[in-house]
Amino acid sequence: MSLRRMELFVSRLLRLGVLVCGVTMALGLGLLWWSGDTSSPFGVLSVEWVLWGDPFLQPSHVLFLGFLILVATPVMRVVASVTTYVSEGDWVYAAITGTVLTILVAGMFLG
Amino acid sequence: MTPQFVIQALLIALGSGFLGALLGLGGGVIMVPLLVFVLGLPIHIAAGASIVAVVATSSASASVYMRAEVTNMRLGMFLALATTLGAVTGAGLVAGASEAALKTVFGATLLYASGVMWHQMRSTRRSWVPMPNDHVAKRLRLGSSYFDAARGEEINYGVSRSLPAFVITYLAGVESGLLGIGGGGINMSAMNAVSSVPMKAAVATSNFMIGVTAATSALFYIRHGFVDSFVTAPVVLGTLIGSLIGARVALRVRGVVIKRVFIVVLLVLGLRMITSGVGLL
Repeated sequence: MSLRRMELFVSRLLRLGVLVCGVTMALGLGLLWWSGDTSSPFGVLSVEWVLWGDPFLQPSHVLFLGFLILVATPVMRVVASVTTYVSEGDWVYAAITGTVLTILVAGMFLG
Repeated sequence: MTPQFVIQALLIALGSGFLGALLGLGGGVIMVPLLVFVLGLPIHIAAGASIVAVVATSSASASVYMRAEVTNMRLGMFLALATTLGAVTGAGLVAGASEAALKTVFGATLLYASGVMWHQMRSTRRSWVPMPNDHVAKRLRLGSSYFDAARGEEINYGVSRSLPAFVITYLAGVESGLLGIGGGGINMSAMNAVSSVPMKAAVATSNFMIGVTAATSALFYIRHGFVDSFVTAPVVLGTLIGSLIGARVALRVRGVVIKRVFIVVLLVLGLRMITSGVGLL
């Protein structure tokens, strides 16, 4: 895929991510109004809670999934860049973007 | 958690997003202090909400810049190395930092930003001077070109002093991770004033960088439970709406007046943050 086509694809992906996040947040706030459950987890979160919630579909967890989708959008953009540079055989930039991606994801597992 | 709380958070975010967009910034610098003082939130939670909102504004406006083809992806990726490393550093510090320490650092940052903006306003406006690539930029092919629709010509530019810019953007990353803001102001001035990248390219490239930087910080904040769902949701929605309106209005209002207002707001919030941080008030 050419750089230009990839950029257009990514730009659509970013807007979709923001849109899905917006819809999820509206849904979560609606659920909050309806159920009145305002319990929110504090402290270091477990991967299981992030993925499944406990109980599933409590308002705070739905909102949370929206944030995760949102935060994933820049990550997708970096992944797309890595793919493009690799397919172009541009190894210097494949390495640079690969490092950025590694730091990005590693931040989550720190501390 | 009450409906009033949600609406207040939404309004604060809307105002900050609006004002930020008028100046080409994310608005996190105003939003975090307002959330702390008006809603009485711990600064960690305010920063967590702000950092997610920064991701939202970056991704929402990215398509505009990408269509205009002014984003310099190579330069953005090179500097994103620095900002993401900085974000990890800053976010690592935030978990152990006390409320008072964070407030004091935030306050000092606001005062500094206000001083820089005041200085920029007073100094005579220098036009952009094209510079050749330095040796790092030459090797990494950082220089680029774009079509300037307003001038109707292709603008070619090199990237000079790329290592100093790298160090400065690292600090922008630390600030982003530590305080939950985008750091766009620092990125832009590093590219424009230090590396002599034209402003249009600097703004678009910074937009890409703050998205990646904020995502790095946000993942850490999420993992450590600093992203409170009920604070963050209205803040993200408010910022998105505010920045969309702001971007539209920005074309029609005079920059100087907004800048003056912004300088005063930063000054007041900065002083308030410091007095609160050191326990004076």
